[in-house]
Amino acid sequence: MHTPLRIDPTKALGDIATFQRKLAAGMGHLRGMREPEYANTPRKLVYSEDKLKVWHFEGHSRPTAKTPLLIVYALVNTVWMTDLQADRSMVRNLLEQGEDVYLIDWGYPDGADRWLTLDDYINGYLDRCVDVVCQRHGLDAINLLGICQGGAFSLSYTALHADKVKNLITMVTPVDFHTPDNMLSHWCRNMDVDLFVDTMGNIPAGLMNYVYLTLKPVRLNQQKYIGMVDILDNPTELENFLRMERWIFDSPDQAGEAFRQFIKDFYQGNKLVKGTLEIGGKLVDLGMVTHPVLNIFAEQDHLVPPDASRAMGKHVGTTDYTQLAFKGGHIGIYVSGRAQREVPPAIHQWLSARD
Amino acid sequence: MADPANDFIRDYQALAQQSWDAWTRQLQQQQSQPAGSPFFTPPTAPASGNDTLERTLAGLKGYFDWMQGAAAGGAAAAPADWRQQVQQLFGGASQPFAQAFSGIDSAGAEGFARQWQSWMQAVQHSGFGDLPGAHGPTPAFGLNREQQMQQQAMSAAVLASLQASARYQALIQRANTQGMARLQGKLAQHAEPDRQIDSLKALYDLWVDSAEEAYAEIALSDEFREAYGEMVNTQMHVRQLQQQQTEQMCQQLGVPTRSEVSSLGERLQALRREFRAGQTSATNDHADEIMALRRELAALKRQLASTPAAAAPSAKPVASAKTRASAAAKVVSKAPAAALRKKAVVSKSRNSPSKRK
Repeated sequence: MHTPLRIDPTKALGDIATFQRKLAAGMGHLRGMREPEYANTPRKLVYSEDKLKVWHFEGHSRPTAKTPLLIVYALVNTVWMTDLQADRSMVRNLLEQGEDVYLIDWGYPDGADRWLTLDDYINGYLDRCVDVVCQRHGLDAINLLGICQGGAFSLSYTALHADKVKNLITMVTPVDFHTPDNMLSHWCRNMDVDLFVDTMGNIPAGLMNYVYLTLKPVRLNQQKYIGMVDILDNPTELENFLRMERWIFDSPDQAGEAFRQFIKDFYQGNKLVKGTLEIGGKLVDLGMVTHPVLNIFAEQDHLVPPDASRAMGKHVGTTDYTQLAFKGGHIGIYVSGRAQREVPPAIHQWLSARD
Repeated sequence: MADPANDFIRDYQALAQQSWDAWTRQLQQQQSQPAGSPFFTPPTAPASGNDTLERTLAGLKGYFDWMQGAAAGGAAAAPADWRQQVQQLFGGASQPFAQAFSGIDSAGAEGFARQWQSWMQAVQHSGFGDLPGAHGPTPAFGLNREQQMQQQAMSAAVLASLQASARYQALIQRANTQGMARLQGKLAQHAEPDRQIDSLKALYDLWVDSAEEAYAEIALSDEFREAYGEMVNTQMHVRQLQQQQTEQMCQQLGVPTRSEVSSLGERLQALRREFRAGQTSATNDHADEIMALRRELAALKRQLASTPAAAAPSAKPVASAKTRASAAAKVVSKAPAAALRKKAVVSKSRNSPSKRK
């Protein structure tokens, strides 16, 4: 019988010395390093309201798509995950495919936004953004691409404003919030959300990040940074790593009332699939979503389990429903090399067939 | 007064808002120090800065210490009982990865322990003597009755919160223990000569897999869900009581309070909704009016087209056309006037705050 450990003492000491050397060298690389920029694909501001902005992206050539695509991101984290860096930009790839891309940047809510409700976000902000894009193109309906919580918003919006949406795409979007592997949902089920929001007001971004870290505490709080030591001597990889760190931790607070409703109605009540969700006093009936739907989810998503997204197919009223499983995680679906090769072309191909 | 700087929320903030700039600054400072360890010398910055920095470095430090300990402790030597060796490497007092869990998870409990202590000191210094309610509820009376009742409520809330945090911590510790058992199970599958673990990093990665699996299993249990909810709820209750006391003090000092500002925000947002709804309604009214006018116009055209005069050749076609246009204009002009009157009434009622409430 052998022991499972066969660690050469000389090699072990060498590993320690290497770790120490890389960390020391890393100081030099970090010192004076500027904060990494996002891709900053050329864009034009076409609408703003309160802290919200709608950006219209400009590609190298004119779009071939007849119908513009409006990206609706989540309220958590910033929208720049979609345009993270030049060679990892979903927006840029969509432009290159020929799409005409708009993006809603929700901004950073503060105390003045404490009382914004889901009705304000979905039937207010989002609806007005859709109107702006429609008017710019002289159309009655446009394509929506909802991401994560923004996907749940887009789905609800499509059900409530069916005539303003031509095609709906959702990415890593939770629909059934009560699948057994949904850790976030599990944790907040016994929370007194009223007490929480009444006490906290807006929910600080730091608290949200803290909760996300505790989903995989060792991996996200330690192992990841040990991995970083290996790339400290590689300026390009280090810059990419720090850019991602910027995106992860530079995130907006959550407007208190919208957070309260989202936790109570979506996470706790699972009303979207129960058919009991009301936004602005109107019932959100997923059966009203008779539009073509492309639902993309990530197979290794630890924030939105695949089953939470797959459930959409059972509840929407459309007969034109396409599901795409991506081999990757919640973030990798935007920024991995595989994502660049697979996701934007798939979206464009699907839209082209329905333009 | 309780020290809000030491509660759970601040604690997570100190952790989660780790700054690589702080790390860089600290490393720059350390470079000039002749300390033995160039990386993990305890910082000499002010306490709050230290706390954030230590948390930032905790994960890396834990790994580095563990590697050193593992090498010095003979991880590389062939042991008689490898399970015992693994237990020594990852368990007990030398548990090297406590930072990964405790850096996040016990932070809440630690924060609240400090909060409790500082609050207790503050109360004692303020002349309340023994903690009101710390030994159970006590009827209060006299001039300070309200303050005594508040302090009792605060004592009970803090105690409840500490108990909830302890329950949560016990589950984290259980996850840690079960992670160890899983690691041993995984290692047992590496006992073949060609599958042996041959580096500290590989051993560490296997431990991470084991620890995360054990944690996920517990984190998805009903017991964890209840403990988590209880921890959050009790801590929010403490915070709520703190806010109430702060507000009372501010009111006495004439300082605007958060709830007053919040109320103003709520009313303002309600007004904005009302205004938007009014705009939308007005737009819809206009659209309805235009549609009605178009329908009337179409009806008039049909009516005129079907009259004998229109069908027969006219001696004065120009005059006839003018007459028709004039008639149509008269009909059309009535609609906007009526609509305007209606709109004025709507507008008036919307602008009357006394009628809204």
